[in-house]
Amino acid sequence: MTELDPVIHAQARLRVVASLSALPDCDQVAFPRLQEILGMTAGNLSVHLRRLEEAGYVAVTKTHRGRTPATLIALTRRGRLAFEEYTEAIRALLAPADTKETP
Amino acid sequence: MIADDDLPPEDPAAALRLIDEQRATAARQLEPDPRAYYWPWGVAWLIGFGLHFLYYSPGDAALVEMPSWLPLTTLFVLLAAAGAVTATVGTRAYGQVAGESARRGAWYGWSWGLGYLTLFVLAGRLSDSLPPELVGLLWSALAVGLTGILHMAGGAIWLDRTLFLLGVWITVVNLLGTIAGPGWHALVVAVAGGGGMLLAGLLGWLRRRDWQ
Repeated sequence: MTELDPVIHAQARLRVVASLSALPDCDQVAFPRLQEILGMTAGNLSVHLRRLEEAGYVAVTKTHRGRTPATLIALTRRGRLAFEEYTEAIRALLAPADTKETP
Repeated sequence: MIADDDLPPEDPAAALRLIDEQRATAARQLEPDPRAYYWPWGVAWLIGFGLHFLYYSPGDAALVEMPSWLPLTTLFVLLAAAGAVTATVGTRAYGQVAGESARRGAWYGWSWGLGYLTLFVLAGRLSDSLPPELVGLLWSALAVGLTGILHMAGGAIWLDRTLFLLGVWITVVNLLGTIAGPGWHALVVAVAGGGGMLLAGLLGWLRRRDWQ
């Protein structure tokens, strides 16, 4: 059995990555909106985003909208791939026993 | 606080459930409710063009007596209200998303704006030299025709089958109404056009409920 990706294999970060995967490719979501979708506190979300950013799964862009600063978040190509692989691995674990090793 | 949700999901089934639920929640918040998108316009067309048919009826006399300002005023008020609802719902759903979708939306919006500007200038120039019963047909056939084509274009941009088919339907209905002539055009657009929009909203909503 392959090891599950430890960066994604934590409830909070799995939810973050799953939410971001619902965005179309080449789209970014503003931090407050993501926070609202997830129902997390800003501090909590920041911590998890930093961890995902360090792994190269999430790109965080600081920008300006008019004069107000905005933080935009998106899944990177690598992050999308990691999420797909994680989902595949989970599905494989749930698949009937014939795909697993037998004594 | 962080310690709790830093734990892995209990088992694979829980992980999969978490993924599905979270993706559905995100999609629901990032996509506007199709009912809020289509129904206000459907109602506006049904009532607005319905009053036009009853007042500017085929034949000589109005089917229902009403003040002459009522049909057009009602149509414009209802269309403005529908526009306000669409803008509110759209801003709520798309307002905090940046990137290619935002650009598609903005350019699509410009197409509507410039399309209607062209229509106003053109129909305004022609109105003076046409008999009164044809002036109404000119304005409504152009406006409904442009709406149909832009719905088709929207369907092509977002690969949205409901939007595209609604555009085709509106275009066909508009052509048939235009051939049938003044009065009949309003009836066809009210019932088939407005009804088509109500149906599109219902189908979109049912589909959205299915995958959640």
